[in-house]
Amino acid sequence: MPKLVLKFENAVLREVPVGAKEVSIGRSPENGIVIDNPAVSHFHARVFNEEGRIMLEDFGSLNGTFVNGQRVKMVTLKPGDSVAIGKHTIVISDSRDLDGFAAGNGNGKPAPAAPKLNETVMLDTKARRDFLQKVAAVGESAQVSPARMKVATLVVRGGRTNQREYMLNDKLTVIGKSAMATVKLKGWFAPKAAAQINRRDDQSYYIGPADKTPSVNGQPITQPTKLSSGDVINVAGIELEFVYRD
Amino acid sequence: MELEFGAQSDRGCVRENNEDSYRAAPDLNLFILSDGMGGLDCGEVASRLAVDTILEHCRKGQASASFPFTGLRIDGVSELTNRLASAVRVANHAVHSAAQHSATNRPMGATVVAVQFADERMSLANVGDSRVYRLRGEDFEQLTRDHSFVAEQMRQGRMTAQEADSSKLHNVLIRALGVDPEVEVDASEELVLEGDTVLLCSDGLTRELSDSQISAVLRETEDAQEATERLIDLAKQAGGGDNITAIVLRSAARPVGALGRVSRLGKWIKDSAERHRR
Repeated sequence: MPKLVLKFENAVLREVPVGAKEVSIGRSPENGIVIDNPAVSHFHARVFNEEGRIMLEDFGSLNGTFVNGQRVKMVTLKPGDSVAIGKHTIVISDSRDLDGFAAGNGNGKPAPAAPKLNETVMLDTKARRDFLQKVAAVGESAQVSPARMKVATLVVRGGRTNQREYMLNDKLTVIGKSAMATVKLKGWFAPKAAAQINRRDDQSYYIGPADKTPSVNGQPITQPTKLSSGDVINVAGIELEFVYRD
Repeated sequence: MELEFGAQSDRGCVRENNEDSYRAAPDLNLFILSDGMGGLDCGEVASRLAVDTILEHCRKGQASASFPFTGLRIDGVSELTNRLASAVRVANHAVHSAAQHSATNRPMGATVVAVQFADERMSLANVGDSRVYRLRGEDFEQLTRDHSFVAEQMRQGRMTAQEADSSKLHNVLIRALGVDPEVEVDASEELVLEGDTVLLCSDGLTRELSDSQISAVLRETEDAQEATERLIDLAKQAGGGDNITAIVLRSAARPVGALGRVSRLGKWIKDSAERHRR
């Protein structure tokens, strides 16, 4: 059965067989091959089997579909053809001769030599810049959350601490007697590090156990657990409320 | 905090040279590991330059708090973590300059992971795909993010773990020291608890051994140096296709809270009694 091999640069991202069922291609997650790139339409194109022939149809996409460099509307594909959509390439491979087609890039030029096994290499500078830019764009959209402009705060509801409120500005907040603790506990029997709160890359806060097992809303916490506004934390004789402040 | 460490590096079974370097500075509680790349002896030069530069920068920072930092300050982490990130940026500059000026003019680069302990805090900084793991009780967790193409694809949900495993692009990095004049450094902090085991390793270890194989060795071997040697032996038995370096760090169990004070008091009484006897 022929296969569609989705590639980015020389990286094989996916292989999808073309059977009786058509394979749709686009940015929308409903597609058989999803290409998450702004240059790709939500429903960009489809590949289907018509009486043994592999057909490609472009759905009138904005940026077009190119086969071996030519913009196409509807064509018959043959093994070795290279379909360009945005910055991605789909190579048509006959599974009987997968290696042969995967090695070429469809336009007759040999693919650059693959790096030796286990040898660490860098993406070349231009490819890497493009890639990192895309990564950054994805990261930015993921960071937009309602809590973004608000400051995570611990409000002391009970017990002996050195302040009544703590703004969680740090990536790591420790509750305990330790010199590095933000929420400083007092008293002889107070543990050095009773619990920890970590801010993760998505700006959410997770509480986890240290020398003590804290509880959140009455539930003991043995694994790092995400905090939500209004959660009440009990640990080492103190009670704290976690809130987002404007 | 009492810290026990073991460290070793091995050429592996296939490579003709060892492009990994590491430095252990127990006086600073600082541990650094780097995996170099580039033809001829460039990889060795790059990784050695990286670890030495970081060690030197941190030493100067320790000696004088006014020793200048390089690069933008990272908010929300301690001075020490900022110092470590600064050291990695200086190392990037050093490797980059060396690559520009080398007679062969061949590209060279390196990964790096560095950890430093102060009180109950561990500072981490990394660039590339060398890793830091932590074993805490039953939990074995990777604390660093790999800056590799497949890891980034997985984070964005474009590749499943299975696809990533079978990908031929394991070895393609998207960040490394020495490639550009500036580099983005990942820096973070973790709380250290007694009994925690921290492992720094190059990809020569993680490509040969699974997480469960690694964590089993760390669980079963008490001595840190012995654990490092067993990890490297196992990786070599599994093929040893790349250079292998491992640093195992263990925070010694210490009595905590009031109990600790009582036992320290007990030790003091015993010690002074012995002094009196002499």
